[in-house]
Amino acid sequence: MNDHTGGAAWPVAELDPVRRLRVLAAATPGTTYGELVIDASVDEVWTVATDLERQMPLLINDIRSFTVTSSDVTGRPVEALARSPFGLRARFDIVHREQSCVMQSRFLVGGLAATAEGHDVTRFGFFGGLRIPGVRLVDRVFHPFLHHGAVERFAAQFRP
Amino acid sequence: MTTVTPTSPAPPPTTTARRDDLGPLVRSAQRGDRLATDQLLDRLTPYVARLCGPIALADGPDATQEALIAVFRNLRQLKEPAALFGWVRAIAVREAVRVARAAARDLPAELADVPASGDPQLAADVQDVLARLSPHHRAVLVLRDLEGLDEHAVSALLGVPEPTVRTRLFRARRRFRKEWEA
Repeated sequence: MNDHTGGAAWPVAELDPVRRLRVLAAATPGTTYGELVIDASVDEVWTVATDLERQMPLLINDIRSFTVTSSDVTGRPVEALARSPFGLRARFDIVHREQSCVMQSRFLVGGLAATAEGHDVTRFGFFGGLRIPGVRLVDRVFHPFLHHGAVERFAAQFRP
Repeated sequence: MTTVTPTSPAPPPTTTARRDDLGPLVRSAQRGDRLATDQLLDRLTPYVARLCGPIALADGPDATQEALIAVFRNLRQLKEPAALFGWVRAIAVREAVRVARAAARDLPAELADVPASGDPQLAADVQDVLARLSPHHRAVLVLRDLEGLDEHAVSALLGVPEPTVRTRLFRARRRFRKEWEA
């Protein structure tokens, strides 16, 4: 290596949790992505967001209930059982990272993330959708059905 | 967030790290397993961020995001998982140059003031000096001096003739030395 910087630092870019979620959403056909800015601290937003039993039915229209069935040693859910309005059940695996969370069942996938944008200002992102073969072809048909207005419903919880 | 944080120079992925068997993870992600995609994203992000930072500078986060989107949207096209890092490198450099060039068109020319010599903040200086170079010159410098590729590999990756690589490298290094020693 021929370093002209005298050993000083080369700049390294950062990928915050919301940008990271955009990558996952863009790479997942059959899903839609939404994000908005909320007037609350990232800790407040993330505490609400990770109450998955309350938030998942709010974010995804096709989920009536979301019950955590297993958690890790820190208490974060790693497995859950979702029920659709028609009684169908789906087991979700959940992976947590710093202010982000991704989950998938056999047929559904979803993720959420939050990044501080300033003092008591947070950018929140969510994506969700189908995970089935050929979903690219029916993409547009299913989007509104899955989580129309999801982030708006989420953000409404922080308004007085 | 659109920041670029100067850090100690991260070593390139070692031979061992590159030889890590990412094959099963890549194949799971190609089949649509989003938890595998999530895990693979974790493995690739530091490498892509290290390439995009010096080329796209303040737009490094945008470039990193765009490069990773391109990587994961096209992952099914990767036939041989062993070629993953070389394939990712080509995409990351191309996206970093594209994002940096697009951003440069929006910048006022007077931003290119040379920092005072002897500035103790070396990390900031590196960014300032890099900012004096065009995105193409930065890409050549990064591939040769940070990634350690030879001119033939750089030429193939950037799709330009070897003499052009040599010229860009010569000019980039000369410019770098000049600004650095000013």
